[in-house]
Amino acid sequence: MSGAGDWIRERQSTLLAYALTAALFIVGVIHSSGFAAGSSIRQMLVFASFVGFAALGQTLVILAGGLDLSVPWLMGFGGVELSRLSASGVPAGVAIVIVIAIGVGIGLLNGIGVTWLRVPPIVMTLAMGGLIQAYLLGVGELQSSGDTVPKVAVDIASNRAGPIPVIAIVWFAVAVAAGLVIARTAFGRRIHSVGDNEVVARLSGIRVDRVRLATYAISGAASTFGGIVLAGYVGTTYLEIGAPYLFTSIAAVVIGGASILGGRGTYWGTVAGALTLTVLSALLPLFQLSTADLDIVYGVVILVGVWLSSSGHSALASLWARSRNPDGAISPRGDPDGSR
Amino acid sequence: MSASTAAPTRLRRPTLAAALRRGWSPTNAITALILIALIIADLSIQPALANLFQIGLLIETALPLILLSVAQTFVVLVGGIDLSVGGMFVVANAITAQWVGLHGGAHQWLVLVAVGFGLAMGALNGLLVVGLRFQPFIATLGTWTIFNGIALTILPTDGGSPPPFLSNLLINEVAGIPTSIVILVAIFVAWRALRATRFGVRIYAVGADEERARLNGTPVRRVKLAVYMLAGLCAALAGIYAAGANASGTPTGGDPYILTSVAAVVIGGASLRGGEGGVGMTMMAAMALTLINDIVGAENLNTWVSVAAASALLLAMVIVRTGINAAIARRRASGRPTTGVGGAIPARAGGSVSERGES
Repeated sequence: MSGAGDWIRERQSTLLAYALTAALFIVGVIHSSGFAAGSSIRQMLVFASFVGFAALGQTLVILAGGLDLSVPWLMGFGGVELSRLSASGVPAGVAIVIVIAIGVGIGLLNGIGVTWLRVPPIVMTLAMGGLIQAYLLGVGELQSSGDTVPKVAVDIASNRAGPIPVIAIVWFAVAVAAGLVIARTAFGRRIHSVGDNEVVARLSGIRVDRVRLATYAISGAASTFGGIVLAGYVGTTYLEIGAPYLFTSIAAVVIGGASILGGRGTYWGTVAGALTLTVLSALLPLFQLSTADLDIVYGVVILVGVWLSSSGHSALASLWARSRNPDGAISPRGDPDGSR
Repeated sequence: MSASTAAPTRLRRPTLAAALRRGWSPTNAITALILIALIIADLSIQPALANLFQIGLLIETALPLILLSVAQTFVVLVGGIDLSVGGMFVVANAITAQWVGLHGGAHQWLVLVAVGFGLAMGALNGLLVVGLRFQPFIATLGTWTIFNGIALTILPTDGGSPPPFLSNLLINEVAGIPTSIVILVAIFVAWRALRATRFGVRIYAVGADEERARLNGTPVRRVKLAVYMLAGLCAALAGIYAAGANASGTPTGGDPYILTSVAAVVIGGASLRGGEGGVGMTMMAAMALTLINDIVGAENLNTWVSVAAASALLLAMVIVRTGINAAIARRRASGRPTTGVGGAIPARAGGSVSERGES
């Protein structure tokens, strides 16, 4: 399925992403000694874990050749629905289970649309995001007073075990598990081969639809859980609470070296991507950069990170080849006015 | 040489009937019917709408989405996607509200700077995709936030003061017809003119089968670059228009348009794989989405109804179309057994690949 070269390449881009995180972190430490303080690192870990949960399902979905644009709304749903359920008397623990189960259900609907109804992933998850948004808007209009987030969610998001935030430990455990599942189990290999080449996967007896369905279901669960913890951290819920995570969940995956076309990538790479994005956004305020500058640097880092981790080598190689053969492979037969 | 090799189609009188025949397909018909149904519904709810001035106002609210959806259509036609349309929109919007509006709009030519920025931003997208071989999704994901940042740098908060001449120009009438309607018609006419050029044919050729287009001598990379620049131009025009029409700028107002523009393109019948769809159908779809909002507003329904209706429409259209296409493919497969390589392309009599589902 994947040769030794691919294996090394995958590690290369993951390592490169960690190197990027480390470099940014070192810049922060040099600039301000408080950057490496316990409280600062703890906060970065907590923020990175939100990105990590949002990007967990996204990693699997993208690996299998799909895309999940409903992540931000699933996160919003996680917080809002949990608060709503617990306000109406459901015990918090039960409510969390129910909310995540509904998240799985929504993910399954995404999967059914993509596999059985053959709706393109972008369209299916975009429409599903719209439907969730409509539900949240409806709920918001039904009850004007904001419900408070149950204490359990607040505790998960803000308690510490010794010096380390609980949520960071949970995230690490999830990352270990996800890493093992992707790299060592039959399910992980199937995800890779479905994303790599659907036809080959089908011919070799893999139930492509089921694999895809599973990735969307996991994305539903991980995103709603991320939403629950995020709401616990913020202390309240609101409609747009998950909005930034559409961008960051995808960015973390691709900075981590995954191919947006599927078939290549690891969750450990995504973890590095989540850390990079978080350290970066903690770093920029130190340099008195405004939100506007932050946006610009964010975009540039994503482009550079993706270029380095995925197409850097090949682009350099093709540049080199072109400099040796300036005429190019295609004879310039086309007319110049095509570019008008 | 160039004139004889390109444009092999015979010259036909562009009659309305011929145009309708060429644009005809079951899915285009469904989009058209939905739009007509929405128009009838809106008119029956608010009969006062049936005058030119009211229609002009409605189209005025629709035009930014229409222009951004047109931008998205071009990119989707060549098999790409542009998440940065919202970013290019706000940059042009901010430039118009801040730079052009300075000194009471004494430097009107600065509008051209906004247009130039649009072309440049589109060129950046195109170079990332064509030159550095980024996936369009990733490239425009990155430039989306870069452009948003640029817009915020130019105009830190909502407001600014777009030049009055622009507002007057965009809100007034031309020979008794509201400007918005004139612009809407102009966009469509410009599209039809572009579609008839060799560049128009090449857009479809590249989208339908990039490799084949390359082998036929189409300068694929240049066409793609031009398409991204064209998208930047349309997005910039949307930003300039919105600034003028609202007499105010917003540096953060672009994001909602990104996914909505994709939705409009898909509802309009374009395939995200490229080569199928057209600006005309996209404009109808964008108009339909605006009408849904208008009806929901007129009926005093909650906002969630319009979000739900738009999402449901998007899903329903795609599912129905997939079903229809599968049925057509089945009928074709049973009616015409294997005809070798040529059978792979569903050619209509007198049509070519590049003409499929266009309107």
